[in-house]
Amino acid sequence: MSDASATMNFRRRDAADKLRGRTRYTIDRYLPGMLHAAVLRASVPSGRITRLDTSRAARMPGVRAIVTAADAPGMIGIGIADHPLFARDVIRYDGEPIAAIAADTLMQARAALAAIDVEIEPLPVVLTMADALAVDAPLVHPAWRNYEVLLAGGARGGNVAWEATVVRGDVDVAFARPDVEIIESCFRVGRQNHVAFEPRAVVASYEDGRFHIETSTQVPWTIRNATARLLGVPASQVRVTVPPVGGGFGLKFDLAIEPFAALLARASGRPVRLVNSREEEMLTCLFRENADIRIRSAVTRRGEIVGREAVVLMDCGAYGGEQIFLTTMTAHTLGGNYRLGAVRLVSRAIYTNTAPNGAFRACNGVYNTFALERHTDEIAARIGMDPLVFRRRNVLGDSDFGATGQVFEGDVLGPMLDRMDTMRDAAAIPPKRTDGRLYGRATAVGTWFVFVGPSAATVNMNADGTATLVTSGVEIGSGSMMQALPQIVAGTLGLAPDDVIVRAADTDAAGYDVGVGGGRTTVSLGAASLSAAQEVRTKLLKVASEMIEAAPGDLVMRAGRIEIAGAPGSGRTISEVATRAQAQFGPVSGTGAFTGSGVPAMPGCVAGHFIDAIDIPVFAVHDCEVAVDTETGHVEVLSYRVVQDVGRALNPRAIHGQIQGGVVQGLGYALHEEVTIGSNGRVRQNGFETYRVPLALDILPVEINLYEGAPSIGPLGTKGAGEVPILNVGAAIACAVANATGKRVQELPLTPPRVLALLLDREPALSLPHIADSWIDNLVRPHGTAE
Amino acid sequence: MDTPISGSVYVAPSLSTALDALHEGGSAAAPFAGGTWIMRAPIRHEQLKSRYVAIGKIPELHTIKVDADAVEIGAAVTHAALATALAELGEFDVLTAAAGHSANPAIRTMATIGGNLATTAFAAADCVPALLCLDAEVEIASRDDRERTSLEQFLTMRSTLAPGRLLHRIIVPRRDRKTVHARLPLRRAGDYPTAIVSLAMILDDAGLVETARIAVGSVEPVARRWGRLETALIGHPLNAAKAAEAAAELADEFAGRDAADVPGWYRVRVLPGLVRRAVAALGS
Amino acid sequence: MGLSMTINGDHLTSTADPVTPLVDVLREDFHLTGAKPVCREGFCGACMVLIDGNPTPSCLIPAALAQGCDIRTVEGLAANGRLNPIQAALEACDAVQCGMCFPGMVVSLTHLLTTRPEATRDDIRAALTGNICRCTGYERIIEAALLALATP
Repeated sequence: MSDASATMNFRRRDAADKLRGRTRYTIDRYLPGMLHAAVLRASVPSGRITRLDTSRAARMPGVRAIVTAADAPGMIGIGIADHPLFARDVIRYDGEPIAAIAADTLMQARAALAAIDVEIEPLPVVLTMADALAVDAPLVHPAWRNYEVLLAGGARGGNVAWEATVVRGDVDVAFARPDVEIIESCFRVGRQNHVAFEPRAVVASYEDGRFHIETSTQVPWTIRNATARLLGVPASQVRVTVPPVGGGFGLKFDLAIEPFAALLARASGRPVRLVNSREEEMLTCLFRENADIRIRSAVTRRGEIVGREAVVLMDCGAYGGEQIFLTTMTAHTLGGNYRLGAVRLVSRAIYTNTAPNGAFRACNGVYNTFALERHTDEIAARIGMDPLVFRRRNVLGDSDFGATGQVFEGDVLGPMLDRMDTMRDAAAIPPKRTDGRLYGRATAVGTWFVFVGPSAATVNMNADGTATLVTSGVEIGSGSMMQALPQIVAGTLGLAPDDVIVRAADTDAAGYDVGVGGGRTTVSLGAASLSAAQEVRTKLLKVASEMIEAAPGDLVMRAGRIEIAGAPGSGRTISEVATRAQAQFGPVSGTGAFTGSGVPAMPGCVAGHFIDAIDIPVFAVHDCEVAVDTETGHVEVLSYRVVQDVGRALNPRAIHGQIQGGVVQGLGYALHEEVTIGSNGRVRQNGFETYRVPLALDILPVEINLYEGAPSIGPLGTKGAGEVPILNVGAAIACAVANATGKRVQELPLTPPRVLALLLDREPALSLPHIADSWIDNLVRPHGTAE
Repeated sequence: MDTPISGSVYVAPSLSTALDALHEGGSAAAPFAGGTWIMRAPIRHEQLKSRYVAIGKIPELHTIKVDADAVEIGAAVTHAALATALAELGEFDVLTAAAGHSANPAIRTMATIGGNLATTAFAAADCVPALLCLDAEVEIASRDDRERTSLEQFLTMRSTLAPGRLLHRIIVPRRDRKTVHARLPLRRAGDYPTAIVSLAMILDDAGLVETARIAVGSVEPVARRWGRLETALIGHPLNAAKAAEAAAELADEFAGRDAADVPGWYRVRVLPGLVRRAVAALGS
Repeated sequence: MGLSMTINGDHLTSTADPVTPLVDVLREDFHLTGAKPVCREGFCGACMVLIDGNPTPSCLIPAALAQGCDIRTVEGLAANGRLNPIQAALEACDAVQCGMCFPGMVVSLTHLLTTRPEATRDDIRAALTGNICRCTGYERIIEAALLALATP
């Protein structure tokens, strides 16, 4: 196969229109006769709806339709169906939808919201995970036992929405060994807002008895299926198409506002546009969740980790959502990086009366990596070992067991650490520092994995020598759909990537897909596309072999021709062959499908997990140097280096762009971006004045080294590259700040006030009294026991 | 919510027409200068006024007059224009820096000096402490009269200014002084400062501080002079470390304002460092 | 009575309410959806347009004050559809990701290129203080600006 031709720094085809302001994102779509919608949201975090009367609002000027909970009977969720579209009887978070209105203008729709008569009687509130886990805490979902279970096996109870556990080996024995030091660390992180520049936006219409939803999403099939479930209609009645998406980062990996617009379109008979305001985006973001983490290790003085246990509390907000699934990941993120003797981990998704959280680039991994790497430095300090030496001694290598007992293939992290040493050594020696700031450096390791899962692709060979690739993939900005996929198809068929037309996602046109996220686009959609292209290739070569009178095995496809290998210019153009094939047999097409291979875990190791082991691990090593201003707490990042395991780099330049962008987003998480929740249950950062993302003056060019050659089941040896760059940033910065200041960094983000408080010892060390001292006391039920 | 509320905008061609319109509009009307505060009313969940009198196109409010003993600045002068106009006058370094580094470049071409002084709810305005340390006065115009008052006095009365009145001019006396503006945003730039120290010093022939003006902004809801620190520095040579020490001893007189992004203690705690930086920037 | 303004050389009239932000007039009355209303507070720069030559966040300008102005939006910067020097440099540097911030980036940098040909890397970074990009980490954008400045 001519896969070498798939590697290139191919420019993306959507750039020119984006640069000219011509690209029409969902927010730019205006249909004839379209109505504008607005959503009435609760302004209390917990309460009972005692009256809801829309009759006055219905008489307001311009109002065409009003929908409420009565119009959406279904419940959705991951693992557990706990989430209705509108609050029914009970409000569980500030901002929860109560009703939606479509009117001729947006101003009319918003004016009508104010005319909805609603009375809410306050109920007790739990705003923090500590509140939620207190004895006799009010339950966010008193009827949790009655919910439909979508995946069996997760332990649940009260405000614990889901619990996933890993137990391998005997941790108690390891901790009781006489030759070990016991090191315990506590960490806490806040939420992070994706700040996708395009807010959640949708235009829905109701045509011929079916819903057509145009939306800004990463997951067209989830939108299709979840909307149908909420509305109580067959999924086949929902068609989802996706224009270019103005930023996702995981925010758009879940259902959002689509069903409101769909219901209003059906009720009014008109297309309906609904766009979240920036404030709605800031307050009901589906944030990266806040988390509380306790990790404890038994380590010999020679640096062997003989036992480890951890409790990770993940705040899912008022509904389980993605966090239910993400409990699975602690096994591979907090339980990753290093060889462990015995291990036990519990990851718990906790209900609170706050806005639901969601997925965000390297979900769960960023804070678990922060916790793991800071803990690793605390271990190294305790046993008096250089932190790099300790890491090198313990990183996962060939044939090592992961936390769930899967066997890793290949030595990857060790050579990556070597490569980082080389990069660091090659850097210029920094000048003498005399400015009074504190300087520190750190190297942090991270383990991520590609969410594989099902994908489908069709390649239609056109008689003019172009190919059309049809998938449910979405271009969210990463370039996978603009660069990697057409490169893979073009490389297989000997075409220029520009001759591969990429169809925008349409659930009526392409088969099921899990969605664009988790680093899976190039891998899963890429593999499906590769297999579809290979089928086309086989068909074309068969026809060509008759035309050229050569065996298919002697033919190659390159530069738009099918020719005899070693005889450039022989044979025919692909267009000629495709034209002949079409006339003889009908148009040529190929289909492909892909899903994960299912790497096995050790039997009995996991409970409540959505996957047991990881098909494609991805590793990263980051290194940075910081300066800390002791008067103000400002942290300046002086250098940042990344060695990233990419399997194979199909488009190195595009990957570099992903790494620079991901690292900067991680710098925001590590240093600037803070979300806090007021005593009224409302997120306090409602706009860009108080929520600070990095600006051009805050960043630096990242030095990048792509590590190729690690094993991967991805097409052509690829791994996802866009997800992982953010993974280690919080960890690297936190370790460097700890090294610079000599203080125990336990929380992110390291905003100037937090760093100054640390320098001044203003606050006691973080402790997490709502995590029980004995690991087993944190569990709803013992690992491996049935309900 | 980004709801535009309907209202009217009268683009006044002259000061007198603006004052007439404000007078007639009474409490329903308000002046509209750069718009960088008023247009953000929706995010603050504030209603817009039903009638705005836009003053940005009035020529006389755009002038900066530099005389031998004072500089007069029209209220509609933008931050960018002010920074450019005063760039060569060292005694106004504090104001040039305040106007030249606030917010971001595009906002500086819109936001006006008058708006900066008149916006009661905006605690982090850069130009307020800068002008306080320059002993600035302001002139308030109404249809029937002109009233001149110190900026300090204006800050106490601005929230209760009667309808129909407009801050139309700022007068800054010229002195042979060294000035500096030290501001601390949370990022490198682009945010509102968490704390500001503006400094204006006159040294005697021996190099000792003869008069000191120190103003602190953004720490409390309204910027103010730091009289005790001024007194502490008078009669001494400029010394950054000593000034910072004095500031550290006196800083507890400030009650820092708590906000979603910055706790009150932080704003107070960074003051000595800002004083040190400011004094050091004066060359000692 | 409508508000008249010149947009990308065309004389246009809007009947929008006078306090409607210009960005909404551009998008909804004139179908110029290049400018994006992202933060509506003047922090992000995605709605930046040139008003009488100056980069201005169009979310903060009420329609009434655009009356009589000469406005150029991102759609008007590629003469005859050809990318201008900064657009071409951004394309050449593979800078674009989701693309939502680029209409504003292009406006700010077009202005920088024409007014400050001597701008340094730090000048470019400072000039972008009011233009947020959430995808790229800025580096490619800065590179592209330097490339455009260096290209005669």
